[in-house]
Amino acid sequence: LFQGDLGPFNPGLPVEVPVWLAINLKQRQKCRLIPPEWMDVGKLEEIRDQERKEDTFTPMPSPHYMELTKLLLNYASDNIPKADEIRTLVKDTWDTRVAKLRLSADSFVRQQEAHAKLDNLTLMEINTTGTFLTQALDHMYKLRTNLQPAQSSQSQDF
Amino acid sequence: SFLQGSKLEIPLWLAKGLRDSKRRIISVELPKIYKEAWRTVFTADATVVDLHKMGPYYYGFGSQLLNFDNPENPEIAQTILQTFISRFRRIMDDSQNAYNEDTSVLVARLDELERTLFQAGQKGLNDFHCWEKGQASQITASSLVQNYGKRKFPDVDG
Repeated sequence: LFQGDLGPFNPGLPVEVPVWLAINLKQRQKCRLIPPEWMDVGKLEEIRDQERKEDTFTPMPSPHYMELTKLLLNYASDNIPKADEIRTLVKDTWDTRVAKLRLSADSFVRQQEAHAKLDNLTLMEINTTGTFLTQALDHMYKLRTNLQPAQSSQSQDF
Repeated sequence: SFLQGSKLEIPLWLAKGLRDSKRRIISVELPKIYKEAWRTVFTADATVVDLHKMGPYYYGFGSQLLNFDNPENPEIAQTILQTFISRFRRIMDDSQNAYNEDTSVLVARLDELERTLFQAGQKGLNDFHCWEKGQASQITASSLVQNYGKRKFPDVDG
């Protein structure tokens, strides 16, 4: 367990708290949530457009952009201007990133690379494709070792 | 006992056991799918081949075949690897896109190794959707204990 202090809580004044507490207080109707500054239509449109344009992954404003979007839109959509548009923009950006990840994976496999470096991926994206990718690469590795000529083994005389 | 020069079908494990580089007890004839005619088909477009019908252990069996001294081994190994590489994309896309669908058509022509991979892709997808729907935060009974019969409380004497 870790512990710490929060506050002071003064009526009408914004205070920073961990997300779990914010959600909890919001559910109990004790507060209003202020969305992060990136959770804004203009900013997210920029990010989406950059994601679509570039071959590399855009650095996301939060490593947990998906989780935060889901939580805030589920529990505090009344505090978020243009919540529906935000939802769509984040989903579009996610879709583009996942498609890019698959493209990278295919290219990696085709060229039989040994190492890949993908910057700016978040854990959500990695976990969605990760199991498949690691298994596939394991198999491919084994098939590649087939290419080396088999060692002739000594056989037993019975 | 067998006449020298006779031709039989035997299981792979037996053939491996009889293999001996010093005394040529047996030589192995390749199943047709690993021979040149079929290899050409694979090289042209491996994605259309029904590997379930032709296998269903195309990769595994093919890898084992390489244990026998066959002059075509390098070509066989290369074809098997390239087949995997070229079919990878389709398996990844199909398994990671088909949510809550009947996937029997998608897996029909996959060999067993590919089917396992397909399942891994489906798991990533299903886990993501489970999270998205908020099911990840619901507590459910572990599948390990679901089959335990409910214990009956011993009768209490009034």
